[in-house]
Amino acid sequence: MDAFFNPSSIAVFGVAEDPRNLAQNIVLHCRKMGFRGGIYPVGRRAGTVHGEKIITDPETLPRGIDLAVILVPARVVADTLDICGRKGILHAVISTGGFREFEAVHNQAETRLISVAERYGIRFIGPNCIGIINPGSGLCTPFNPLRPDRFKKGPIGLIIQSGGVTTQSGYHFSDEHVGFSKIISVGNKLNLDETDFIRYLRTDPETEQIHLYLESIENGREFMRGVKETPKPMVIFKSNTTDISAEIAHSHTAALANNDRIVSGAFRQWGVVRAKSIHDMTVAAKALRLPPLKGNRLAVISLSGGFSVILGDACQKNGFTCPPLPRSLMDRIEGFRRGRVIRMSNPMDFGDIHDIDPLVFTLEQCLSLQDIDGVVLSFIYDPQMSRMIGGETGGPEEILRFMRKLCRVYHKPVALSLLTERRFIEKFKALEIFPLFNDPEESVRALALSREHYRKNPPAP
Amino acid sequence: MEIITDALQAGQKSLSEYDSKQVLAAYDIPVARERLVRTGEDLLEAAQEIGYPLVLKGCDSQIAHKTEKGLIRVDIRNEQEAQTAFEHIRKEVNPETGAVLVQEMVKGTRELVVGLTRDPQFGPCVMFGLGGIFTEILRDVSFRVAPLEMRDALEMMGEIKGHKILDAVRGMPAADRDALAHMLINVGKIGLEHEVVKEIDINPVILHQGRPLAVDALIVLEAG
Repeated sequence: MDAFFNPSSIAVFGVAEDPRNLAQNIVLHCRKMGFRGGIYPVGRRAGTVHGEKIITDPETLPRGIDLAVILVPARVVADTLDICGRKGILHAVISTGGFREFEAVHNQAETRLISVAERYGIRFIGPNCIGIINPGSGLCTPFNPLRPDRFKKGPIGLIIQSGGVTTQSGYHFSDEHVGFSKIISVGNKLNLDETDFIRYLRTDPETEQIHLYLESIENGREFMRGVKETPKPMVIFKSNTTDISAEIAHSHTAALANNDRIVSGAFRQWGVVRAKSIHDMTVAAKALRLPPLKGNRLAVISLSGGFSVILGDACQKNGFTCPPLPRSLMDRIEGFRRGRVIRMSNPMDFGDIHDIDPLVFTLEQCLSLQDIDGVVLSFIYDPQMSRMIGGETGGPEEILRFMRKLCRVYHKPVALSLLTERRFIEKFKALEIFPLFNDPEESVRALALSREHYRKNPPAP
Repeated sequence: MEIITDALQAGQKSLSEYDSKQVLAAYDIPVARERLVRTGEDLLEAAQEIGYPLVLKGCDSQIAHKTEKGLIRVDIRNEQEAQTAFEHIRKEVNPETGAVLVQEMVKGTRELVVGLTRDPQFGPCVMFGLGGIFTEILRDVSFRVAPLEMRDALEMMGEIKGHKILDAVRGMPAADRDALAHMLINVGKIGLEHEVVKEIDINPVILHQGRPLAVDALIVLEAG
């Protein structure tokens, strides 16, 4: 498997000098992402692309190439793979489309492709995919125009069925400052499928979480085994769940068994986090970087009365409880108030407490309570803040470092959001010190997502 | 299992209600007390054994939607009522394949559904939800992939919106969740052990003093 991610050198089939040629993008993307291995473009006409000479006679390719990336018309894919076999290239990304997604039955090109692969023992990704992006090795096989420099490096292994969703997820995750260890676009899954890559990512030291976007799961039971073997958090956005059941159901059970209901049951059963969208995947990714949520009981602190109400609703909607906090603690917190007009409860409204010390005190007290599993904090930010509230914790870096420290000391998650302008939220996120959620409700959603993983994969006490 | 292989050989697409429950009973699923009768003599003997009030139903693997066809008579309290109902139903069922099912009338107002379906991606999956007429109307159900562990079964009960129906409500005792869980686990087992079982509906499962009892059941077979 490693040859797919860290090849010493690659051959790219289907390259031409014509600026409209798509395969040359593969050469460009690898160079832009810093791939240091050899790149051998192969095409029908001589020429040069991005500083590499096009090889017109594939028989002259050197031995020892690990990976072929193939973007030639569907009818000649099998012949191209045959050349690879003869040259000892036993791994391939087949980018070409026009196989079963285009013509489902009696697809000759597909049958030949499978038999050539079997003859040489070639493993391949696709067809109809954009292959691998590995920020670590600089391998970047997509042929569609994209900007590899925008893909952040990080702990997420991403497996995606569709090429378009792959590219867009790459950008969106990166915008949310969630980076990748590996991105794999699996396409039609004729040879290697998501379960093979889950198994690879499970042991990949650079991958901490495995995220998938899937339209179909071909072999649910095999997939389930792959999932069960994986202690790393798994987040899946499963689409194609609307009811199109054409088969006639003879029982109520079969009539009610749509894909959405079965998938959600199965995912809960295995502790898979089910995301609702690409963005939701990024929320889960951030949440799973926090310490594990061990239960259902939250303390909620908001610097706005309105948001403490909104957060109360969000907690209830997501099945969390906000237990009453000890009276002695409440009395001490109330002692900090300027107005002393509102009784403190959980969620806590810090709207009329304008010093940083009571907030720090309350955060630490709540995190140390036995019957509180996590804290939701809707904080406030303004560049003038340190002048307003005093203390040393006024700047973005100080705030985030402090949150990180709290989580480490108490081993409990703090789901943080900020009441401020969008540009300041972006600034905080860009520091990449501590996960920041886009709004208060998202921070509660984040804990709900992380709970889905830890419910079935309890952390060590 | 003989009942299943016989049915397949006879070209049946499903098992009769009686046979379906025989399969369930073989998997330790509690079912309502019942007997299949063909003659007036058998009827009275069965009635005496089971005790009034009774339910009489037309029973035939060819019959679906018994209620709509008037093939269910409930709350039968004496011999005369039993005989009238028997004569009526007997006329409607095929004398070759069908018979009349004499069943205890299970008391309990809470009706649940337990089922099995074969998903093309995940294989046999077990369903739990609100039963009776609410199954189709509210569609308040949850699924798990077989085999189920105890924990899965308990979780799927908590997952339906109407899960409070299982608590002690309005003077009724709380549902025996362990017994329900075993029912779910065993339905999953049937699916795993019999490839030809395509779908199962146990609807209703009635909570009788908190204990679940399979009152009506249908096993759909995969015609080969």
